[in-house]
Amino acid sequence: MKRIGYMIREALTNIRVNQTTTIIAIVTMAFTLACFGVFLLLYLNLRGAVGALQDDIKVIVYLHDNLSAQGLADLQQRLTGEPEAAALAYVSKEKALADFRTQFPSEQSLLQGLGENPLPASFEVTLAPRYRSADSVKRWTDRLKAIPGVAQVQYSRDWIDNLAAMIGYVELASVAVGLLLAAASVTIIANTIRLTLYARREEIEIMRLIGATGAFIKIPYLLEGAVLGALGALLALALLKSGFEFMTVHLAGPGRVLGLTPKLGFFPIQVSVWLVLAGLSLGTVGSLVSLVGLERSRA
Amino acid sequence: MIQLFHVWKYYAKRPALCDITLQIEKGEFVLLMGPSGAGKTTLLRLLFCAERADEGQILIQNKNVARIKPSAVPYLRRTMGFVFQDFRLLQKKSVFDNVALPLLVQGLSSFDIRRKVSEALKAVGLEHKKESRPAMLSAGEQQRACIARAIVNSPLILLADEPTGNMDPDLSAEIMELFKTINARGTTLLIATHNRQVVEQVKRRVVTLAEGKLASDVGAGQ
Repeated sequence: MKRIGYMIREALTNIRVNQTTTIIAIVTMAFTLACFGVFLLLYLNLRGAVGALQDDIKVIVYLHDNLSAQGLADLQQRLTGEPEAAALAYVSKEKALADFRTQFPSEQSLLQGLGENPLPASFEVTLAPRYRSADSVKRWTDRLKAIPGVAQVQYSRDWIDNLAAMIGYVELASVAVGLLLAAASVTIIANTIRLTLYARREEIEIMRLIGATGAFIKIPYLLEGAVLGALGALLALALLKSGFEFMTVHLAGPGRVLGLTPKLGFFPIQVSVWLVLAGLSLGTVGSLVSLVGLERSRA
Repeated sequence: MIQLFHVWKYYAKRPALCDITLQIEKGEFVLLMGPSGAGKTTLLRLLFCAERADEGQILIQNKNVARIKPSAVPYLRRTMGFVFQDFRLLQKKSVFDNVALPLLVQGLSSFDIRRKVSEALKAVGLEHKKESRPAMLSAGEQQRACIARAIVNSPLILLADEPTGNMDPDLSAEIMELFKTINARGTTLLIATHNRQVVEQVKRRVVTLAEGKLASDVGAGQ
């Protein structure tokens, strides 16, 4: 207990004594994490927007005209049981005609002279979220086409493919930027801790001579790195929040003029906690990198 | 207590210690003499495991330090005390905190730390300076603080490297008297020095090194 207290006190003393280095490290770390945060914010908002658009994607299952009432009921039951179908709406021939007349009042002449209603009945299927990928939809619709009573299956494949590709690119870019900035953060903390280690090398040597174990010597520096990382992440969150509020206030005006009402959101609390934990972890890793160097330089 | 068998140590292929064989019994007071560059500090560094011998064996309390795992070194060092010419005190800490460090490292309770530090400071006559920073002390007082840190743990062995190096004869004699008192309590002492006056002051076993070789061993068994 006494030892733990000593280690925490040493870490806090290091931070207090090396104020300038500490402040520079925290601010640099904050800017680095804020850059990643901007990308993450963009990605999360884009994914939210794309998710909302995906909700509108429907698969239309057109039915044969000669399908009996029992056949219709069986098909409906079968489609309802499919895991891909989140919701199912039946559109009868009459409703299809009525919808056509409502949507295209000027084209009603096309239907005149045909006698009976040419439009088929159909099921409009809303896809379950986990089955919205292009591959998954393709496989499912191919299977649907083979079911007796199904005349044709339509879905906006290009739209789904494009959306999937876009999300994929943004995800890839986020990972790449995240990795680069994580490496930058580790380097920043590693250099800060290295400066502290250099300044206190004689003290470390004395600690070794009086029988301090490696852990006893290193833990205060690991704690210092963790504290610097966490403080950097908190400052980054504060910067991002301020920037986000500024942007939403100033973007709301032009958005309304263009008829767009952007639904932007800041990080949920879980993501914010994860960011602070990420800062803390990066700080600890940075310290570890320096301490490996210390081990190598050991007399 | 300390045994060296045919120990060799090289720096850049040049021998710093050549075929040293030496035994120091429990409770002995040994002066390690020799001019600068004779290998005194190298020998001490091998004993406190700051370096490893290139050839030969070193046994300390029957443990072969040539084969000791790095993780076991701190525990071996806790059975020894070290005194240096340049004191090596932490300048940002008080005398009390400096002396308390070896005990803190071992996780002793606050009560035990206070008790043992007070005893050590009393033994070296520095009780009244326990709140002072090292920079506020004279050279003799700083060396006494360093000795207090070395004995606070009741070590079996005390190693000292030129402990009176920068001191006038009176102060040097005072420090040597302190070492004799510590030795009288049963601690084995090995003190490296190039100061011939110390030999007269102490009148104990003298091991002399010259160019890395054992030149003489006088007074063994006294």
